[in-house]
Amino acid sequence: MSIKKIIEGKKEWRAHVARVKALPQDYQIVYKEMQKYLFKVGPVELGEGIGLLSEILSFLEEGAAAGKDVLEVTGTDVAAFCDALIEDSKTYLDLYQESVNQKVSKDKKE
Amino acid sequence: MGNFREMMKGVLEGCVLEIISRGETYGYEITQKLRELGFNDVVEGTVYTITMRLEKNNLVNIEKKPSTIGPPRKFYTLNAAGEEHLKIFWQKWEVVSSKLNKLKEN
Amino acid sequence: MNFFERITGSDMTKEMKAFEERAKLLPAEYQAAWKEIINNLWIHGDFTGRNLMPFIESSLELLEVTAADGQSIEEVLGDDIKGFCSALVGDEGAKTYRDKWRDQLNNNVARKLGGLK
Repeated sequence: MSIKKIIEGKKEWRAHVARVKALPQDYQIVYKEMQKYLFKVGPVELGEGIGLLSEILSFLEEGAAAGKDVLEVTGTDVAAFCDALIEDSKTYLDLYQESVNQKVSKDKKE
Repeated sequence: MGNFREMMKGVLEGCVLEIISRGETYGYEITQKLRELGFNDVVEGTVYTITMRLEKNNLVNIEKKPSTIGPPRKFYTLNAAGEEHLKIFWQKWEVVSSKLNKLKEN
Repeated sequence: MNFFERITGSDMTKEMKAFEERAKLLPAEYQAAWKEIINNLWIHGDFTGRNLMPFIESSLELLEVTAADGQSIEEVLGDDIKGFCSALVGDEGAKTYRDKWRDQLNNNVARKLGGLK
């Protein structure tokens, strides 16, 4: 019960989830899997609010409203679609590795 | 096939820029035009990832207009930086294709 | 010395405490996974902790969102939490993991969409 509260207590997130739920079933499935993948890969935009997820949702809503099958709009390789979406984004991993490299080069100088 | 995808990425971006430069348009319309050209594998998602990149790099102007069905739709036009980008794309394309043709003919 | 003692700076400890509070609200199997993630990240960490925070936060968000959705923890992380953490911090095999996540995404989509028909 309380887990729902903490997430859905955030007004913005609640509105977001409501939009997801309004999608047709097949769109919901694809959206949720995409979201899970993005959380794992960790593009930095995710930490900056729901902008990226909200954008993706708008894109899917448009396809759903036009009555298309979800894979018709994302393509069958949904992972490739996700990768293309965050291609220019740094991930948490990139930032972490940069900080490690900086530390290494700093240590070398000292 | 991986390499083919890499190669196509730049080409498709050029195509999308060119299509937008002909006049204000939106994602689905761009997809249709690409498919008419014979890029059968292109889906709206493909175009969306490209327009998103153009948007991020400030190469397009965007106007959201209400749609008869569904959420408001994003309409794109090229801005000055986009025009410049397109010009450079065609120049690069000229270089590559002329060299390749030469190679093929000899 | 445990992970929490290793991370220095009071603001960070506060951040970590806030994460812990949020984690307490997770279902039991998710809490177990959360603890395992933290422990694994610690093993992997030769870091000060500060640059670890984004990983911890995104993992927590992943758990919160999928728990609210009622998914099973296996479905979210697979059965290999250690591997998941290695992939997060980019250890050896991280690339293979991203490939695995890609496959999982496409397979899940195919399976679940197939289930609709």
